[in-house]
Amino acid sequence: MVPRGASRTLTAEAFGRFLRWLSENDERAVLEYQSIRTKLVRYFIHKGCSDPDDLFDKTVDVVVGKIDTLREHSSPLAYCFGVAKNVWRQDLRQRKPASLEENCIAVPTCPDPQIHEQELKCLERCMDKLSPGDRDVVVRYHQGQGHDKIESRKRLADGLGGVNALRIRTCRIRRDLRVCVAACLDQWAN
Amino acid sequence: MKSIADRNLMREYLLGKLDNQTEIEDKVSDGIVNNQEMIDIVDSVEDEIIEEYLEGSLNSGDRDAVEKYFLEPPQRKEKLRSAQLLRYYFETKPSHHTATNRENFVRPPTPWVFHLTRYGAFAVLVLVVISTLVYVGGVRTSHARLENQLAQEREHSANLVKEAELLQPSIVALTLVADRSRSAEAPIPQVDIKSSTQRIIVEIALHGVASGSYDVRLETKRGEGPLWSAKLLPIISSNDDARLVFDFPSRGIESGVYSLVVSSPTVSVSRYDFQAKVLH
Repeated sequence: MVPRGASRTLTAEAFGRFLRWLSENDERAVLEYQSIRTKLVRYFIHKGCSDPDDLFDKTVDVVVGKIDTLREHSSPLAYCFGVAKNVWRQDLRQRKPASLEENCIAVPTCPDPQIHEQELKCLERCMDKLSPGDRDVVVRYHQGQGHDKIESRKRLADGLGGVNALRIRTCRIRRDLRVCVAACLDQWAN
Repeated sequence: MKSIADRNLMREYLLGKLDNQTEIEDKVSDGIVNNQEMIDIVDSVEDEIIEEYLEGSLNSGDRDAVEKYFLEPPQRKEKLRSAQLLRYYFETKPSHHTATNRENFVRPPTPWVFHLTRYGAFAVLVLVVISTLVYVGGVRTSHARLENQLAQEREHSANLVKEAELLQPSIVALTLVADRSRSAEAPIPQVDIKSSTQRIIVEIALHGVASGSYDVRLETKRGEGPLWSAKLLPIISSNDDARLVFDFPSRGIESGVYSLVVSSPTVSVSRYDFQAKVLH
């Protein structure tokens, strides 16, 4: 197994073999690779790993090492996921007690006041781009303080079909806002 | 056993509290990876944890788990920052979205005589308004229906745009055939980097094959760098065509010309130029 923190060892040849194992068709192999990568990186994020991309690369390294015995394996995702679980277990055993970079977690103005101001402008712009329905939900969700806020959210949830429906709706809106703000900041930076 | 869609179970999973319970941890992991519909539930539980962390309403055990486990991935730190930004925006930033919450100013008291003199005029005004409303009512109903349809259409098209953004691939391919010495007249290959792009897969057709590995490094055209480097073995086909296939992260790449410099102890250095175009 590849030790934590080691540099990537996957060679071009190994990567090519991995793609061939996924599919003989180039386009399909890249799509399959992309799909497996998305799922496994997300898995490593869910498992609290500090470098999910690196652990994905390690997973591919291990799979490639065994590729000659895998020709008949029916589901590349299932096999890669099995390996990913082992890679995560090993990573978990080797983790050091983590400490947060406190300044960068607690204060929203952490990166730079100028960037923070731009983030707020982008957020304002992205709020404008939301559909009227989504904008209404996110504004009402954040309205008020204390008891008023709880009551406001209850009414909002009743109108949307329950608390879980509200949670999922706000989660999707936040995701859209994150994507929009990131794109807006990139545009500003360039 | 609880269903994996159970939010409390999911919360324990995301806080790492099931890591020592192999069977159930495995079951939840399998459920998430193999069921796309779980993604929304997982994401919304993550949001809930972040919200409670920012509110300071987590118990000490959960807060500890958030700080030592949950917030380890950079993607989650980014999510936390984004939640902080949204919270800060609604709490402090005056804007037309939040303005209605802030207009809690106190009006100055008005003398009662002033009210009395206005009652007559007000009664006449009410009569006029009522007759106007009867006429306008019908117009407004159909107008409201049209506005509603328009709002639904806008919402629908906005959703389609968002879905299209999410469907953009995170990997782009770049094929390089001719090095700088062979491509003086030809336009240099271009790679488009979108906001969704995470990695660039490169295939380089080699001219002449060296024994052993190649050193590949990414530089700006002026030779600044390396921005990325690797030692790679070529793929050689049965008819001796050789190529290098590898991928590198697109993070940090800006619009401009870059070079992939390929060298080995036995073959002279080749520079493969390409134009990166950042699209957002």
